[in-house]
Amino acid sequence: MTTLHLPPELSIYTAAELHPQWLAWAEQQSQAQADALVDAAAVDQVDGAGVQLLVALQRGLAARGCALRLNTPSRPLSQACDALGLSGWLAQLQVPFSPEAA
Amino acid sequence: MTHNASQDADFIAEALPVFLSEAEEQAESLEALLLQLEDEPDNAELLNALFRCAHTVKGSAGLFGLDAVVGFTHHVETLLQRLREGQVALSPELSTLLLRCNDQIRALVAEAGGQPADPAAGATRDGLVAQLQSAAGVTSAAPAGRARSPEDDASRATPSTLRPWHVSVSFGSEVFRNGMDPLAVLNYVRGLGEVSRIVCDVDGIPPLEQLDPESCYLSFIFGLATEASRAQIEDAFSFVREDCQLHVLNPGATPAQFADLIDAMPGNPRLGEILVAAGAISPAQLQQGLRSQQAAATQGENALLGQLLTEQTGLAPQVVDAALRKQRQQRADAPAAADDNRFIRVQANRLDAVINLLGELVIAGAGAALLARQTKQRQLREANEEISRLIEEIRNGTLQMRMVPIGETFTRFRRVVRDTAAELDKDVQMEVIGGETELDKSVVERIADPLMHLVRNALDHGLETAAQREAAGKPAQGRLTLSAHHEAGSIVIRIVDDGRGIQRRRVLERAWQRSLVEPGVVPDDAAILRLIFEPGFSTAEKVTNLSGRGVGMDVVRSNIEALRGSVLLDSVEGQGSSIEIRLPLTLAIIDGFLIAVGASRFIFPLDAVVEVIEGRASDASLDAGGRGVVELRGQVLPVVSLRTLYAIDGPVVARGSIVVLQAGHTRFGVLVDSLLGQHQTVIKPLGPLFSSLRGMAGSSILGNGEVALIFDVPALGQLAAEPATQQRRAADRATA
Repeated sequence: MTTLHLPPELSIYTAAELHPQWLAWAEQQSQAQADALVDAAAVDQVDGAGVQLLVALQRGLAARGCALRLNTPSRPLSQACDALGLSGWLAQLQVPFSPEAA
Repeated sequence: MTHNASQDADFIAEALPVFLSEAEEQAESLEALLLQLEDEPDNAELLNALFRCAHTVKGSAGLFGLDAVVGFTHHVETLLQRLREGQVALSPELSTLLLRCNDQIRALVAEAGGQPADPAAGATRDGLVAQLQSAAGVTSAAPAGRARSPEDDASRATPSTLRPWHVSVSFGSEVFRNGMDPLAVLNYVRGLGEVSRIVCDVDGIPPLEQLDPESCYLSFIFGLATEASRAQIEDAFSFVREDCQLHVLNPGATPAQFADLIDAMPGNPRLGEILVAAGAISPAQLQQGLRSQQAAATQGENALLGQLLTEQTGLAPQVVDAALRKQRQQRADAPAAADDNRFIRVQANRLDAVINLLGELVIAGAGAALLARQTKQRQLREANEEISRLIEEIRNGTLQMRMVPIGETFTRFRRVVRDTAAELDKDVQMEVIGGETELDKSVVERIADPLMHLVRNALDHGLETAAQREAAGKPAQGRLTLSAHHEAGSIVIRIVDDGRGIQRRRVLERAWQRSLVEPGVVPDDAAILRLIFEPGFSTAEKVTNLSGRGVGMDVVRSNIEALRGSVLLDSVEGQGSSIEIRLPLTLAIIDGFLIAVGASRFIFPLDAVVEVIEGRASDASLDAGGRGVVELRGQVLPVVSLRTLYAIDGPVVARGSIVVLQAGHTRFGVLVDSLLGQHQTVIKPLGPLFSSLRGMAGSSILGNGEVALIFDVPALGQLAAEPATQQRRAADRATA
């Protein structure tokens, strides 16, 4: 099981390049039958497209019955998620299990 | 990019007619809804529908850059919004104002369609806008709705200059590619004031596999406490304005507003998120509600979140309902998004082209069937019969496509009745029965004007003022009923009023005066009433503004007759009048009954054929004009010989038949040589050479290339009945 290390730049400029890589990784994780681990400590530059890609990753994994665990989100990532109303979503990725809403 | 621009221009040129016809329909709905609201002023559904109509007109006009329409409709929308919020009550004056505004919207849409602008309209519109603004503004200080939302508490707590807005924004897919970033936009919005409870619609973002990493799927809903105006808030989105859906909702929103915001939300959030996002409850309240739900679940109870929230937070049930509806709708929409396209707009001329071809196909099919019969090959005949059956089904299906309910036309009269009654100071209730009755669109279009004239006539001459009615012992409110139903292949439209009826004496005096009838001669009652439809007849002693515009009842009659229809008037003095119009359902194709006289072929519309008496033609004793009577089951039936009537050559057949026809309420027989059976008939108009020929409605080409004339049965009936009646009257006088 390999941890996915997010790059320093998570933005529209890298999204097209990251997409196939993450897709391959997600495929691999879903066969491992365990939580998929993402290390977000290095993220330095992030924009809406980057956060969107991360949300899509989580949703793609969830669709395969696999939970995404995100450790040590960097400050820029946390701030971007706050600004986009995704702080709850981000927090949920850091706790062992997520309570389901109605 | 220039390529794009020209594509845009092409698109607009192509789509504009669709917009125009849709906008016209929306304007019609607006009018219908406004009139309906006058009867049910408290109906929130109607108000919502009204708002949606105005909003749709504005929105689609915006797409085409029709700024005049957008600008004007915006003011109407603002007032409707206030009405919907319950901040302004709908008064009759307001209703009139909105109706007049709707007329202007129509005019603006028509101008957009290339019609010349009315130079005075600009000033009219400015006046209306001022009225709209004062109507929407003066009472805006009235208490806002009863929403017990935390937002209200917040607005009380914050200084009056800081106002809480609700913003819902859905970014378009091209935003990233255009170099914009929603994150930056939202950060800019934060510069305007405090953003609270921002929710991103996570479910709107597709899973990784389906994601185009450079397309934007983001949409947000948030509260914004700011001193900025709506325009300033909207300006924050100006860079992405072309490529996003933005809703900015006023502070102090009412339950109705929350409900609409929820309806307009993108994506598929959960119930709790919907409510939080709309600002109806706070996240803390949602958490509490969810905990209660979980607690209840552990005890084996199945508590509903909406219910819990209503209990715990005093949330208006209306808001929860809207949220639940949204949720259900989204769940239902998900598998079958294609359900939206339940209607296809087709250009009328394309449909006409198909119907024309179908006409040719019917003729060709009949020709092939005839040849097949002549070959006496069973299999070929059977194959041909199958083809004929299919052609008939296609014919029915295609004609069905042209059918529209007449109710739309009737609804248009509501406005006429309302305004005309007000102008004449009369109180009139209009009732519509059978509005769902369908008939051919081309018939509908051509009957609207005659109907309008008859409705105006009923209002002007038929119905009395309230005082006159009370004096006559009738209810003060007059009734005007428009009804429609199908009857034997025709549509019957009735206009019934309970007014003063027609004074036959005055009709007769006028007829004498105008030399329509020889002075002193008194025709029977039905004939007196028919005089009203004679050219150059008008009973109104004083020509009013409304009727008497030079369009007489004779024009109405000829319009109806041009549609192969008939009009009949019945009236009881003091009790009211009834006008009955019969029209064929379609003008294109009929089922015909083919007969022969000598070498000529004729067609009766099959609907008019009651029965056929074979071989009894010789029973009739005819006069020199070819008219006479036969006895049919103890009753006298007037008959007419086509051979004599149209001077057809050829030897008299020994065993001719009688075709019994029904025209309105009368029956008559027609003597023919032989019966050739049922025939699908494509109606071709008669040339101008034959237009004076009485009793003919058109012609048709038979399968073998022969031409057959199609009878206009009511007209033929008059030919058959009139002299016979006179003969009977003469006989009556002789015995008296």
